[in-house]
Amino acid sequence: MLIITRRPGERIVLGDDIVVTVMEISGQTARIGIAAPRELPIYREEIWEAVKAENQAAAAVDADALPPVPPPANGTSK
Amino acid sequence: VSTTIDSTRFGRIEVAPDSAIVFPHGLAGLDSRTFTLIARAQDDAFVWLHSLEDPALALPLADPRRFFSGFALEPAPAEGAAIYVTVRASERIEEFTANLRAPLVIADGIGQQVINEAPDAELRAPLFAELAAAAAEQAA
Repeated sequence: MLIITRRPGERIVLGDDIVVTVMEISGQTARIGIAAPRELPIYREEIWEAVKAENQAAAAVDADALPPVPPPANGTSK
Repeated sequence: VSTTIDSTRFGRIEVAPDSAIVFPHGLAGLDSRTFTLIARAQDDAFVWLHSLEDPALALPLADPRRFFSGFALEPAPAEGAAIYVTVRASERIEEFTANLRAPLVIADGIGQQVINEAPDAELRAPLFAELAAAAAEQAA
């Protein structure tokens, strides 16, 4: 792993179009700013792990596991 | 020209080429990038996001607004994009959940799983809670 020391306000450039800025350091917390292409997914790691677990759980659902659902009541949007 | 999938769940399925949905960045924890949506019945509450690359990979999806009246996605997606949430099944209906925290946004054949920054977007929102409450109210 590449390890770089940065002070608040300093940046790291990844490739052509990603810039990571250390915004503020306060005690045990660092605020990080990330400028990247909009379509690039950026996750906090623990959320990424949680989403991965949900995706894998959904992919484990059997074809006949889903119960019938009553049709939406009149007037509700589709 | 159409593609066929020999789905482990649904058997042989014909897929029109223009119905492919590409997730350029994939889906966390899954290996496919090219999928299609399969509806098993007209007006079914669920559709399946089926891989075109792996016949065993398919995820049930739901329209979040059909199950969660207060559903909101922040930041808001592009106008006209379809929004789905993944469904986690269980033996007990009360334990079915939907992932409101990471909806799938699909537009023009391109899909993306986004993080919903809305404060009440639960990772495991009870899927049938509102329907059960409505049914209980009707019975009372």
